[in-house]
Amino acid sequence: MHEVSLMENLLAVVEKAAEREGSDHVDVIHLRLGEMSGVNIDSLKFAFEVLSKGTVAEKGRLEFEQVPLVIVCNECNYESSPESLIFRCAKCGSASMELISGREMEIDYILVDEDDPGKG
Amino acid sequence: MHEIHVGKDLREHNREIARENREKLKGRGIVALNLMSAPGAGKTSLLVSTIPHLKDKYNLGVIEGDLQTSRDAERIKELGIDVYQIQTGGVCHLDASMVHSAMHELDLAAIDLLFIENVGNLVCPAEFDLGEDGRVMLLSITEGDDKPKKYPLMFAESRLLILNKIDLLNHVDFDISRAKREALDINPRLEILELSCRTGDGIDEWISWIDRFYSESGGA
Repeated sequence: MHEVSLMENLLAVVEKAAEREGSDHVDVIHLRLGEMSGVNIDSLKFAFEVLSKGTVAEKGRLEFEQVPLVIVCNECNYESSPESLIFRCAKCGSASMELISGREMEIDYILVDEDDPGKG
Repeated sequence: MHEIHVGKDLREHNREIARENREKLKGRGIVALNLMSAPGAGKTSLLVSTIPHLKDKYNLGVIEGDLQTSRDAERIKELGIDVYQIQTGGVCHLDASMVHSAMHELDLAAIDLLFIENVGNLVCPAEFDLGEDGRVMLLSITEGDDKPKKYPLMFAESRLLILNKIDLLNHVDFDISRAKREALDINPRLEILELSCRTGDGIDEWISWIDRFYSESGGA
């Protein structure tokens, strides 16, 4: 995984979002990470510590919401959460499966300080 | 506290550029294949073996990707093909923006079929859309028949798996059925070919696969 370059993208998006609202201080960055996204949270936190310095997120923190791995069977429409990367329908055994959720890497929302003087 | 909804994917930056690449290639009727494997599995040798069979049918272009050197591009250049070498410095995979820049260095107007040879790596290239029409991966039979489940993402994302260096099967303990079975477990839609660049075994089937893929992908 490339947590450092993911963090660079994350901070660029967060800075833009904060700037649009006229805020220069981000308290919380709420992330939705899929169970199968492959992101290493410790590496992401470390990258954040290093790269957030000098940005609007410098004094903020990351929050993580895990999105479960869910697949649906193309044959019988049964939804299930597989234990491994081998996708099989738990009901009918079909190998024809679609991923519904579990690979997300999303910045859901950020929390900024209400008391910011703001840039208007 | 004031909540600002963002709803942005962290990979959006690469995806946006990949979309641009895809549109540019589609607009010119160019079909592009992203070739991936571990280092030394035979990507460049495969291109060198394949190009003579394709030259008369297609206008070919190649983008090469390596950390350092233009050795691979030089091998392609010797065959008279338009080729550009990306040297990533230290980056372990090609990404859409590198390919975007490389596309400017080729005469796209004169290309029908573009091969993008990725950096040798069974892990990272799978995570980066380049704007290609399909992914072809190589696993040489000297690498071990247990690799599909150890590196699932690349197998899951590929259209075709080429088992290369089959001329060496007698010299290694590679269980072809096991490797195929496990690769298909991960990706039931995966097509699989067996090949040897040295003996030419399987090259015809590979060429037929290319022909079929090219017309299915709307090659002009």
